[in-house]
Amino acid sequence: MSAAVLLAASESPKVHLTSQTRIIAAVLALAFMALVLELIRRDKLQERFSVVWFVAGLGMLVGAAFPGLLSVVADAMGVRDTNVALFSIMLLFLLGLALNFSVTMSRQAAQITRLAQERALAKAREQAASGKNGSEAERERLEG
Amino acid sequence: MRTLVFIPAWNEEDSVAAVIAGVRDAMPEADVLVIDDGSTDETAAQAREAGALVASLPFNQGLGAALQTGYLHALREGYDCCAHLDADGQHPPAEVARLLAVIREDRADLVIGSRYRDPGEARSDDYKPPFSRRIGIGVFRFFLTLATRQRFTDTTSGMRAANRRVMRLFSERYSPDFAEIESLQLAVREGLRVEEVPVRMLERAGGSSFLTPLRSAFFIFKGVVVLLVGQFRPTQAEAER
Repeated sequence: MSAAVLLAASESPKVHLTSQTRIIAAVLALAFMALVLELIRRDKLQERFSVVWFVAGLGMLVGAAFPGLLSVVADAMGVRDTNVALFSIMLLFLLGLALNFSVTMSRQAAQITRLAQERALAKAREQAASGKNGSEAERERLEG
Repeated sequence: MRTLVFIPAWNEEDSVAAVIAGVRDAMPEADVLVIDDGSTDETAAQAREAGALVASLPFNQGLGAALQTGYLHALREGYDCCAHLDADGQHPPAEVARLLAVIREDRADLVIGSRYRDPGEARSDDYKPPFSRRIGIGVFRFFLTLATRQRFTDTTSGMRAANRRVMRLFSERYSPDFAEIESLQLAVREGLRVEEVPVRMLERAGGSSFLTPLRSAFFIFKGVVVLLVGQFRPTQAEAER
């Protein structure tokens, strides 16, 4: 898609954005990406989880730079209202992300459970080795 | 045959010692492991005092995770068979010994102690389920029988005995949410021989059941969903392919 097409589209009557709102949107997008970077830098966010947020920030930036792109997308989706297209895309994106988090959480819950089990069994083995109160000691007492 | 009897316990300081003593009496040859599921009372100390080995989960993980801990221990320590019973004193240890006998004779891979199968002569201290629970029992019985094409009467029984084949399966795959029912479905789907043996259970000594009507309804709904999803899970052999 050439820039000329995008510029032409941006002047189409479907998307009404003043240059002021476009600048605000671009600044917000940049601020969002800076926030993601800062979170990584401060070890509050792992890189592997940051990619998707970076892409989201880029999407916001592209949307601010070429608002006409949205009407192109809306046309491709067969949606007359560009707002509906925008909200549908955002909703699907967030839905997918939330599902992805549930999957990640499930995996981590299983890992935590196994970790707890391993620790409990290690402690039990310790108890058995020390011989105190363990079933072995008890049996010796009974037999002895 | 080396035998492990394990007892999942969550805040059962009043009854756990008596249960351990009962198990030692009925099965002197078995090692006893108590899995303390993040108890905040003296359960672990009481169990140790009573001579059991204690595996304490650092925080409450639910019955499924506790039971899986027992199967994992039995598998790793090379036990030939294992059994588990509740810590609240509802399960007479002598009945657990009967389940283990079936495993030792290799007549099944997994044996479930059933309260409802051929009850025989009723006694005054026998377990009598309240009405709300009977609905759940009926629903689970119906769907599990439908899913496995095998008749089950006591799907949520916590009194079971198993051999190494089951230890291998349950130590890897054991649903933490709906352990009792899903494990039966899982075992049948893996081609294991699952059998019910009629047993007596007692009324619980103290405390009350955690189920209110609303929770019961949700519990039943969840169970049916779990069973439905379980029908589409790959078996271990399919998963390896």
